[in-house]
Amino acid sequence: MATSSPSGSTSGAGGCPTGPRRPRTARRLTAALLVLGGLAVGGCAGPGTAPGAQPPAAGSARPDTSGADPTQSVPAAREGRPGPTARIRFVPTRVVLPGGSEAPVAPAETVDGELKVPEDVAHVGWWDGSAAAGDPFGHTVIAGHVDSATEGLGYFARLLRIKPGEVVTVTGAGHRLSYRVISVRTITKQTLATSGSIFDQTGDPRLVLITCGGTYRRGTGYDSNVVVMAEPLGPAH
Amino acid sequence: MTRAVTTRWTVSAALLAGALGTAGFTVAPSYAADSAKVYIVQGLPGDNLDVAVDGKTVATDVKTAAVVGPFSVRPGTRKVTFTDNGKVVLERTFGVKARSSWDVVVHLPESSDKATLTVFRNDLSSVPKGKASLTVAHTASVPAADVRVNNKVLFSNIANGQALNLIVPVATYKVAIVRTGKTSPVLLGPVSLTVQGGALNRVYALGDPSKKTMNVAVHVIATGTSGSATPHRVNTGTGGQAAGSAPSLVVTLIP
Repeated sequence: MATSSPSGSTSGAGGCPTGPRRPRTARRLTAALLVLGGLAVGGCAGPGTAPGAQPPAAGSARPDTSGADPTQSVPAAREGRPGPTARIRFVPTRVVLPGGSEAPVAPAETVDGELKVPEDVAHVGWWDGSAAAGDPFGHTVIAGHVDSATEGLGYFARLLRIKPGEVVTVTGAGHRLSYRVISVRTITKQTLATSGSIFDQTGDPRLVLITCGGTYRRGTGYDSNVVVMAEPLGPAH
Repeated sequence: MTRAVTTRWTVSAALLAGALGTAGFTVAPSYAADSAKVYIVQGLPGDNLDVAVDGKTVATDVKTAAVVGPFSVRPGTRKVTFTDNGKVVLERTFGVKARSSWDVVVHLPESSDKATLTVFRNDLSSVPKGKASLTVAHTASVPAADVRVNNKVLFSNIANGQALNLIVPVATYKVAIVRTGKTSPVLLGPVSLTVQGGALNRVYALGDPSKKTMNVAVHVIATGTSGSATPHRVNTGTGGQAAGSAPSLVVTLIP
Protein backbone atom coordinates (compact mmCIF):
# COMPACT_ATOMS: atom_id res chain seq x y z
CA MET A 1 0.00 0.00 0.00
CA ALA A 2 2.65 2.41 0.98
CA THR A 3 4.57 1.96 -2.21
CA SER A 4 1.78 1.51 -4.69
CA SER A 5 2.86 2.49 -8.15
CA PRO A 6 1.24 5.40 -9.92
CA SER A 7 -0.53 3.03 -12.26
CA GLY A 8 -1.93 1.01 -9.41
CA SER A 9 -4.62 1.59 -6.90
CA THR A 10 -4.35 5.31 -6.47
CA SER A 11 -7.21 6.36 -8.67
CA GLY A 12 -10.02 4.90 -6.64
CA ALA A 13 -8.82 5.36 -3.11
CA GLY A 14 -8.69 9.09 -2.80
CA GLY A 15 -11.56 9.77 -5.11
CA CYS A 16 -9.92 12.86 -6.47
CA PRO A 17 -8.76 12.32 -9.97
CA THR A 18 -11.34 9.82 -11.13
CA GLY A 19 -14.37 11.97 -11.67
CA PRO A 20 -15.35 13.10 -15.13
CA ARG A 21 -13.02 15.78 -16.36
CA ARG A 22 -14.36 19.23 -16.59
CA PRO A 23 -16.30 20.10 -19.71
CA ARG A 24 -15.15 22.85 -21.98
CA THR A 25 -17.93 25.14 -20.91
CA ALA A 26 -15.91 25.68 -17.81
CA ARG A 27 -13.70 28.27 -19.40
CA ARG A 28 -16.08 31.05 -18.51
CA LEU A 29 -16.25 29.68 -14.99
CA THR A 30 -12.50 29.70 -14.84
CA ALA A 31 -12.43 33.34 -15.75
CA ALA A 32 -14.96 34.01 -13.01
CA LEU A 33 -12.79 32.15 -10.56
CA LEU A 34 -9.84 34.25 -11.58
CA VAL A 35 -11.81 37.36 -10.76
CA LEU A 36 -12.96 35.92 -7.49
CA GLY A 37 -9.44 34.83 -6.73
CA GLY A 38 -8.24 38.36 -7.28
CA LEU A 39 -10.89 39.66 -4.93
CA ALA A 40 -9.93 37.11 -2.35
CA VAL A 41 -6.33 38.18 -2.42
CA GLY A 42 -7.30 41.81 -2.12
CA GLY A 43 -9.60 41.10 0.76
CA CYS A 44 -7.24 38.95 2.77
CA ALA A 45 -5.79 41.69 4.86
CA GLY A 46 -4.93 39.38 7.71
CA PRO A 47 -6.19 38.50 11.15
CA GLY A 48 -8.23 41.66 11.43
CA THR A 49 -10.46 40.79 8.52
CA ALA A 50 -14.06 40.25 9.45
CA PRO A 51 -14.87 36.60 10.01
CA GLY A 52 -17.51 36.73 7.32
CA ALA A 53 -15.08 37.85 4.67
CA GLN A 54 -14.04 34.40 3.61
CA PRO A 55 -12.37 33.96 0.28
CA PRO A 56 -14.44 31.90 -2.10
CA ALA A 57 -13.67 28.25 -1.69
CA ALA A 58 -12.21 27.39 -5.03
CA GLY A 59 -12.93 23.76 -4.35
CA SER A 60 -16.64 24.27 -4.21
CA ALA A 61 -16.78 25.18 -7.86
CA ARG A 62 -15.12 22.46 -9.83
CA PRO A 63 -11.49 23.05 -9.27
CA ASP A 64 -10.33 20.38 -11.69
CA THR A 65 -8.32 22.07 -14.31
CA SER A 66 -8.34 22.09 -18.04
CA GLY A 67 -4.71 21.29 -18.48
CA ALA A 68 -5.21 22.07 -22.13
CA ASP A 69 -4.06 25.63 -22.24
CA PRO A 70 -1.33 26.28 -19.72
CA THR A 71 -0.73 29.88 -20.70
CA GLN A 72 -4.04 31.34 -19.72
CA SER A 73 -7.17 30.81 -17.69
CA VAL A 74 -5.38 28.99 -14.91
CA PRO A 75 -7.26 29.82 -11.72
CA ALA A 76 -5.42 31.28 -8.78
CA ALA A 77 -4.74 29.30 -5.63
CA ARG A 78 -6.47 30.19 -2.45
CA GLU A 79 -4.44 32.23 -0.02
CA GLY A 80 -4.04 30.53 3.35
CA ARG A 81 -5.37 32.75 6.11
CA PRO A 82 -5.28 32.93 9.88
CA GLY A 83 -8.38 31.59 11.56
CA PRO A 84 -10.77 34.06 13.23
CA THR A 85 -9.46 33.14 16.68
CA ALA A 86 -5.83 33.99 15.92
CA ARG A 87 -4.16 34.83 19.21
CA ILE A 88 -2.44 38.17 19.60
CA ARG A 89 1.03 38.11 21.11
CA PHE A 90 3.37 41.02 21.57
CA VAL A 91 6.60 42.00 23.25
CA PRO A 92 5.75 44.54 25.96
CA THR A 93 7.12 48.02 25.36
CA ARG A 94 5.25 49.80 28.18
CA VAL A 95 3.93 48.78 31.56
CA VAL A 96 1.18 50.52 33.55
CA LEU A 97 1.10 49.94 37.31
CA PRO A 98 -1.89 50.53 39.62
CA GLY A 99 -2.38 54.26 39.94
CA GLY A 100 -1.68 54.80 36.27
CA SER A 101 2.03 55.56 36.17
CA GLU A 102 3.78 54.11 33.14
CA ALA A 103 7.31 53.15 32.19
CA PRO A 104 8.98 52.08 28.96
CA VAL A 105 9.99 48.43 28.71
CA ALA A 106 13.13 47.46 26.77
CA PRO A 107 14.36 43.95 25.97
CA ALA A 108 16.86 42.75 28.60
CA GLU A 109 19.48 40.05 28.22
CA THR A 110 20.90 37.58 30.65
CA VAL A 111 24.67 38.03 30.83
CA ASP A 112 26.70 35.58 32.91
CA GLY A 113 23.56 34.52 34.73
CA GLU A 114 22.43 38.02 35.61
CA LEU A 115 19.47 39.74 33.99
CA LYS A 116 20.76 43.10 32.78
CA VAL A 117 17.94 45.59 33.21
CA PRO A 118 18.13 49.17 31.90
CA GLU A 119 20.47 51.40 33.93
CA ASP A 120 17.91 54.22 33.81
CA VAL A 121 15.74 53.60 36.89
CA ALA A 122 12.71 55.06 35.08
CA HIS A 123 12.89 52.17 32.58
CA VAL A 124 12.39 48.46 33.09
CA GLY A 125 13.49 45.40 31.11
CA TRP A 126 11.65 42.43 29.61
CA TRP A 127 13.75 39.25 29.75
CA ASP A 128 14.17 38.45 26.06
CA GLY A 129 13.99 34.71 26.66
CA SER A 130 10.60 34.92 28.34
CA ALA A 131 7.11 34.64 26.95
CA ALA A 132 5.55 37.45 24.97
CA ALA A 133 2.32 38.88 26.36
CA GLY A 134 -0.51 36.74 25.01
CA ASP A 135 1.50 33.54 24.65
CA PRO A 136 -0.39 30.45 25.85
CA PHE A 137 2.47 29.19 28.01
CA GLY A 138 5.16 30.68 30.20
CA HIS A 139 5.95 33.68 32.32
CA THR A 140 6.47 37.14 30.85
CA VAL A 141 9.25 38.50 33.03
CA ILE A 142 9.85 42.24 33.54
CA ALA A 143 12.47 43.52 35.99
CA GLY A 144 13.55 46.99 36.99
CA HIS A 145 15.44 49.00 39.58
CA VAL A 146 13.95 49.74 42.94
CA ASP A 147 16.61 52.43 43.33
CA SER A 148 20.15 53.38 42.38
CA ALA A 149 22.95 55.22 44.09
CA THR A 150 23.02 57.86 41.39
CA GLU A 151 19.37 58.20 40.36
CA GLY A 152 17.44 57.56 43.56
CA LEU A 153 14.14 55.67 43.64
CA GLY A 154 13.27 53.65 40.58
CA TYR A 155 9.94 53.13 38.82
CA PHE A 156 9.64 49.63 40.25
CA ALA A 157 9.84 50.95 43.83
CA ARG A 158 6.07 51.01 43.31
CA LEU A 159 6.12 47.19 43.47
CA LEU A 160 6.85 47.46 47.20
CA ARG A 161 3.31 48.78 47.69
CA ILE A 162 1.41 46.71 45.13
CA LYS A 163 -1.42 44.47 46.45
CA PRO A 164 -3.03 41.26 45.24
CA GLY A 165 -6.13 42.02 43.20
CA GLU A 166 -4.69 45.16 41.64
CA VAL A 167 -4.35 45.39 37.89
CA VAL A 168 -1.16 45.75 35.83
CA THR A 169 -1.32 46.38 32.08
CA VAL A 170 1.35 45.90 29.45
CA THR A 171 1.17 47.35 25.95
CA GLY A 172 3.15 46.98 22.75
CA ALA A 173 2.73 47.06 18.99
CA GLY A 174 -0.73 48.56 19.36
CA HIS A 175 -1.93 45.75 21.63
CA ARG A 176 -2.61 45.52 25.35
CA LEU A 177 -3.11 42.88 27.98
CA SER A 178 -4.14 43.39 31.60
CA TYR A 179 -3.28 41.12 34.51
CA ARG A 180 -4.56 40.79 38.06
CA VAL A 181 -1.94 40.53 40.76
CA ILE A 182 -2.20 37.17 42.54
CA SER A 183 0.84 37.28 44.82
CA VAL A 184 3.60 39.56 46.08
CA ARG A 185 6.56 37.78 47.61
CA THR A 186 9.95 38.73 48.93
CA ILE A 187 12.40 35.98 48.07
CA THR A 188 16.04 35.86 49.13
CA LYS A 189 18.31 36.30 46.15
CA GLN A 190 19.97 32.95 46.70
CA THR A 191 16.70 31.13 46.15
CA LEU A 192 15.37 33.23 43.28
CA ALA A 193 16.79 30.99 40.58
CA THR A 194 16.20 27.70 42.34
CA SER A 195 12.61 28.38 43.31
CA GLY A 196 11.73 27.04 39.90
CA SER A 197 8.54 28.90 39.29
CA ILE A 198 9.73 32.47 38.77
CA PHE A 199 11.14 32.07 35.29
CA ASP A 200 8.96 29.15 34.21
CA GLN A 201 8.31 28.98 30.46
CA THR A 202 6.15 25.86 30.26
CA GLY A 203 3.24 26.42 32.64
CA ASP A 204 0.29 28.79 32.60
CA PRO A 205 0.86 32.31 31.30
CA ARG A 206 1.76 34.84 34.01
CA LEU A 207 3.22 38.30 34.23
CA VAL A 208 6.15 38.36 36.66
CA LEU A 209 7.51 41.71 37.87
CA ILE A 210 10.83 41.66 39.74
CA THR A 211 12.74 44.27 41.67
CA CYS A 212 14.94 44.31 44.75
CA GLY A 213 13.88 44.38 48.38
CA GLY A 214 14.50 42.97 51.82
CA THR A 215 17.44 44.21 53.82
CA TYR A 216 19.89 46.65 52.26
CA ARG A 217 23.57 46.61 53.20
CA ARG A 218 26.19 48.92 51.79
CA GLY A 219 28.54 46.92 49.68
CA THR A 220 26.31 43.91 49.17
CA GLY A 221 23.06 45.71 48.38
CA TYR A 222 19.65 44.18 48.87
CA ASP A 223 19.47 40.58 50.07
CA SER A 224 16.14 39.78 48.43
CA ASN A 225 13.99 40.22 45.38
CA VAL A 226 10.38 41.32 45.44
CA VAL A 227 8.42 39.21 42.95
CA VAL A 228 4.93 40.14 41.80
CA MET A 229 2.96 37.41 40.04
CA ALA A 230 -0.14 38.31 37.99
CA GLU A 231 -2.54 36.33 35.83
CA PRO A 232 -4.01 37.50 32.52
CA LEU A 233 -7.56 38.87 32.65
CA GLY A 234 -8.28 37.55 29.16
CA PRO A 235 -6.66 37.34 25.78
CA ALA A 236 -4.50 40.15 24.45
CA HIS A 237 -6.28 42.59 22.17
CA MET B 1 0.29 3.60 5.76
CA THR B 2 -2.61 5.99 5.82
CA ARG B 3 -5.05 3.24 6.74
CA ALA B 4 -3.12 2.17 9.75
CA VAL B 5 -2.77 5.59 11.26
CA THR B 6 -6.35 6.54 11.79
CA THR B 7 -6.50 5.40 15.39
CA ARG B 8 -3.32 6.43 17.15
CA TRP B 9 0.16 7.09 16.04
CA THR B 10 3.19 9.08 16.77
CA VAL B 11 4.55 11.83 14.63
CA SER B 12 8.03 12.98 15.35
CA ALA B 13 8.51 16.28 13.67
CA ALA B 14 12.25 15.96 13.96
CA LEU B 15 12.16 12.62 12.25
CA LEU B 16 10.10 13.90 9.40
CA ALA B 17 12.36 16.88 9.03
CA GLY B 18 15.27 14.52 8.62
CA ALA B 19 13.44 12.54 6.01
CA LEU B 20 12.53 15.72 4.22
CA GLY B 21 16.15 16.73 4.01
CA THR B 22 17.01 13.67 2.00
CA ALA B 23 14.00 13.98 -0.24
CA GLY B 24 14.55 17.65 -0.98
CA PHE B 25 14.86 18.86 -4.53
CA THR B 26 16.13 22.12 -5.79
CA VAL B 27 15.28 23.56 -9.14
CA ALA B 28 17.21 26.34 -10.70
CA PRO B 29 19.45 27.01 -7.72
CA SER B 30 21.10 29.75 -9.70
CA TYR B 31 18.29 32.23 -9.08
CA ALA B 32 19.48 35.34 -7.37
CA ALA B 33 19.19 35.92 -3.67
CA ASP B 34 15.77 37.47 -4.11
CA SER B 35 14.19 34.17 -5.08
CA ALA B 36 11.35 32.63 -3.09
CA LYS B 37 11.45 29.18 -1.54
CA VAL B 38 8.50 26.94 -2.23
CA TYR B 39 7.60 23.65 -0.58
CA ILE B 40 4.92 21.36 -1.93
CA VAL B 41 2.68 19.62 0.59
CA GLN B 42 0.80 16.63 -0.81
CA GLY B 43 -2.47 16.57 1.10
CA LEU B 44 -4.60 14.44 -1.20
CA PRO B 45 -5.33 11.02 0.26
CA GLY B 46 -4.52 7.99 -1.83
CA ASP B 47 -2.66 9.72 -4.64
CA ASN B 48 0.94 9.70 -5.73
CA LEU B 49 1.41 12.92 -7.63
CA ASP B 50 3.94 14.40 -9.99
CA VAL B 51 4.53 18.10 -9.52
CA ALA B 52 5.58 20.72 -12.06
CA VAL B 53 6.29 24.38 -11.43
CA ASP B 54 5.91 26.61 -14.48
CA GLY B 55 5.76 23.50 -16.61
CA LYS B 56 8.97 21.99 -15.31
CA THR B 57 8.74 18.78 -13.29
CA VAL B 58 10.21 19.26 -9.83
CA ALA B 59 9.11 16.10 -8.04
CA THR B 60 7.60 12.78 -9.00
CA ASP B 61 5.56 10.17 -7.21
CA VAL B 62 4.93 12.35 -4.16
CA LYS B 63 2.93 10.36 -1.65
CA THR B 64 0.11 11.52 0.59
CA ALA B 65 1.35 13.61 3.53
CA ALA B 66 4.79 14.05 1.99
CA VAL B 67 6.47 17.44 1.81
CA VAL B 68 9.02 18.16 -0.92
CA GLY B 69 11.24 21.14 -1.47
CA PRO B 70 12.42 23.74 -1.11
CA PHE B 71 12.31 24.80 -4.73
CA SER B 72 13.76 28.19 -5.57
CA VAL B 73 11.45 30.17 -7.81
CA ARG B 74 11.38 33.71 -9.09
CA PRO B 75 9.09 36.09 -7.25
CA GLY B 76 5.80 36.82 -8.96
CA THR B 77 3.05 34.59 -10.26
CA ARG B 78 4.01 30.97 -10.69
CA LYS B 79 2.03 28.00 -11.93
CA VAL B 80 1.92 24.60 -10.31
CA THR B 81 0.56 21.49 -11.96
CA PHE B 82 -0.21 18.21 -10.24
CA THR B 83 -0.54 15.13 -12.38
CA ASP B 84 -1.34 11.53 -11.70
CA ASN B 85 -0.16 9.18 -14.43
CA GLY B 86 -0.05 12.06 -16.83
CA LYS B 87 -3.60 13.16 -16.05
CA VAL B 88 -3.84 16.66 -14.65
CA VAL B 89 -5.34 16.56 -11.16
CA LEU B 90 -5.05 20.26 -10.45
CA GLU B 91 -3.43 23.33 -11.94
CA ARG B 92 -3.26 26.71 -10.21
CA THR B 93 -1.32 29.92 -10.21
CA PHE B 94 0.06 31.34 -7.00
CA GLY B 95 1.96 34.47 -6.07
CA VAL B 96 5.22 34.56 -4.14
CA LYS B 97 7.33 37.45 -2.91
CA ALA B 98 11.10 37.71 -2.92
CA ARG B 99 13.13 36.27 -0.02
CA SER B 100 10.20 34.45 1.49
CA SER B 101 9.10 30.89 2.14
CA TRP B 102 5.81 29.31 1.08
CA ASP B 103 3.93 26.06 1.54
CA VAL B 104 1.89 25.17 -1.53
CA VAL B 105 -0.68 22.65 -0.37
CA VAL B 106 -2.83 20.47 -2.60
CA HIS B 107 -5.70 19.11 -0.54
CA LEU B 108 -9.42 18.44 -0.24
CA PRO B 109 -11.83 21.33 0.31
CA GLU B 110 -14.35 21.25 3.15
CA SER B 111 -17.09 19.32 1.40
CA SER B 112 -16.07 17.89 -1.93
CA ASP B 113 -13.66 15.32 -3.24
CA LYS B 114 -12.18 17.70 -5.82
CA ALA B 115 -8.68 18.86 -5.16
CA THR B 116 -7.97 22.47 -4.27
CA LEU B 117 -4.81 24.45 -3.63
CA THR B 118 -4.00 26.72 -0.71
CA VAL B 119 -0.78 28.66 -0.36
CA PHE B 120 0.54 29.62 3.07
CA ARG B 121 3.43 31.95 3.76
CA ASN B 122 5.92 30.54 6.26
CA ASP B 123 6.85 32.94 9.04
CA LEU B 124 10.48 32.11 9.75
CA SER B 125 10.95 34.64 12.57
CA SER B 126 13.30 33.28 15.19
CA VAL B 127 11.76 31.52 18.18
CA PRO B 128 12.86 31.88 21.83
CA LYS B 129 15.23 29.20 23.07
CA GLY B 130 13.41 26.10 24.25
CA LYS B 131 10.30 26.99 22.30
CA ALA B 132 8.76 26.14 18.98
CA SER B 133 6.51 27.97 16.58
CA LEU B 134 3.57 25.66 15.98
CA THR B 135 1.09 26.24 13.17
CA VAL B 136 -1.91 24.02 12.68
CA ALA B 137 -3.57 24.23 9.28
CA HIS B 138 -6.97 22.83 8.32
CA THR B 139 -6.73 21.20 4.91
CA ALA B 140 -9.14 18.32 5.47
CA SER B 141 -12.61 17.55 4.22
CA VAL B 142 -14.31 18.54 7.47
CA PRO B 143 -16.15 21.64 8.72
CA ALA B 144 -14.56 24.20 11.02
CA ALA B 145 -12.60 22.43 13.71
CA ASP B 146 -11.01 22.83 17.13
CA VAL B 147 -7.59 21.45 17.85
CA ARG B 148 -7.39 20.02 21.34
CA VAL B 149 -3.89 19.94 22.77
CA ASN B 150 -3.41 17.93 25.97
CA ASN B 151 -7.22 17.88 26.26
CA LYS B 152 -7.60 21.65 26.07
CA VAL B 153 -8.76 23.64 23.06
CA LEU B 154 -5.63 25.51 22.05
CA PHE B 155 -6.61 26.31 18.47
CA SER B 156 -10.30 26.98 17.94
CA ASN B 157 -12.65 27.35 15.02
CA ILE B 158 -10.29 26.83 12.09
CA ALA B 159 -11.97 26.44 8.72
CA ASN B 160 -10.59 24.70 5.66
CA GLY B 161 -7.79 26.83 4.24
CA GLN B 162 -7.09 28.57 7.53
CA ALA B 163 -4.27 28.15 10.02
CA LEU B 164 -3.43 29.28 13.54
CA ASN B 165 -0.02 29.77 15.11
CA LEU B 166 1.24 29.64 18.69
CA ILE B 167 4.62 29.75 20.37
CA VAL B 168 4.81 26.70 22.62
CA PRO B 169 7.47 25.04 24.77
CA VAL B 170 9.39 22.18 23.20
CA ALA B 171 7.53 19.10 24.33
CA THR B 172 5.45 16.19 23.14
CA TYR B 173 1.79 17.11 22.87
CA LYS B 174 -1.30 15.00 22.52
CA VAL B 175 -3.22 16.54 19.65
CA ALA B 176 -6.76 15.74 18.56
CA ILE B 177 -9.04 17.44 16.06
CA VAL B 178 -12.78 17.76 16.66
CA ARG B 179 -15.60 19.80 15.19
CA THR B 180 -15.71 23.29 16.64
CA GLY B 181 -17.29 23.27 20.07
CA LYS B 182 -17.45 19.47 20.33
CA THR B 183 -15.38 16.89 22.11
CA SER B 184 -16.51 13.96 19.98
CA PRO B 185 -16.32 12.37 17.56
CA VAL B 186 -12.59 12.82 17.26
CA LEU B 187 -11.89 13.44 13.58
CA LEU B 188 -8.17 12.89 13.87
CA GLY B 189 -5.92 11.59 16.59
CA PRO B 190 -5.10 11.78 19.33
CA VAL B 191 -1.66 12.12 17.82
CA SER B 192 1.52 12.36 19.81
CA LEU B 193 3.32 15.34 18.33
CA THR B 194 6.86 16.26 19.34
CA VAL B 195 7.59 19.80 18.27
CA GLN B 196 11.09 20.82 17.31
CA GLY B 197 12.65 23.82 19.04
CA GLY B 198 14.02 26.77 17.11
CA ALA B 199 11.80 25.88 14.21
CA LEU B 200 8.48 26.49 12.57
CA ASN B 201 6.46 23.30 12.92
CA ARG B 202 3.59 23.26 10.44
CA VAL B 203 1.01 20.55 10.94
CA TYR B 204 -1.57 19.93 8.24
CA ALA B 205 -4.71 17.99 8.99
CA LEU B 206 -5.74 16.34 5.75
CA GLY B 207 -8.03 13.69 4.34
CA ASP B 208 -11.67 12.80 4.79
CA PRO B 209 -13.01 11.12 7.94
CA SER B 210 -15.92 9.56 6.06
CA LYS B 211 -13.40 7.66 3.95
CA LYS B 212 -11.09 7.00 6.88
CA THR B 213 -8.28 8.87 5.18
CA MET B 214 -7.54 11.46 7.87
CA ASN B 215 -3.82 12.00 8.23
CA VAL B 216 -1.29 14.67 9.06
CA ALA B 217 1.58 16.16 7.14
CA VAL B 218 4.28 17.77 9.23
CA HIS B 219 6.66 20.33 7.82
CA VAL B 220 9.51 21.59 10.00
CA ILE B 221 11.68 24.53 8.95
CA ALA B 222 14.51 25.78 11.16
CA THR B 223 14.14 29.41 12.17
CA GLY B 224 17.01 29.99 14.56
CA THR B 225 16.52 31.00 18.16
CA SER B 226 16.24 34.29 19.95
CA GLY B 227 16.50 35.31 23.58
CA SER B 228 19.03 34.79 26.33
CA ALA B 229 19.35 32.13 29.02
CA THR B 230 17.29 31.92 32.19
CA PRO B 231 18.71 34.40 34.71
CA HIS B 232 19.98 33.30 38.11
CA ARG B 233 20.30 36.77 39.56
CA VAL B 234 18.36 39.99 39.30
CA ASN B 235 20.24 42.89 40.92
CA THR B 236 18.02 45.91 40.74
CA GLY B 237 18.96 48.11 43.65
CA THR B 238 22.19 49.94 44.36
CA GLY B 239 21.06 52.96 46.33
CA GLY B 240 19.25 51.71 49.39
CA GLN B 241 16.70 54.52 49.28
CA ALA B 242 13.84 52.04 49.11
CA ALA B 243 15.12 49.94 52.00
CA GLY B 244 12.64 49.28 54.76
CA SER B 245 9.58 49.75 52.63
CA ALA B 246 9.50 46.21 51.27
CA PRO B 247 6.76 43.79 52.27
CA SER B 248 7.71 42.46 55.68
CA LEU B 249 7.19 38.76 54.99
CA VAL B 250 10.34 37.15 53.64
CA VAL B 251 9.74 33.81 52.02
CA THR B 252 12.61 31.45 51.50
CA LEU B 253 11.57 28.98 48.87
CA ILE B 254 12.90 25.48 49.21
CA PRO B 255 14.33 24.36 45.89
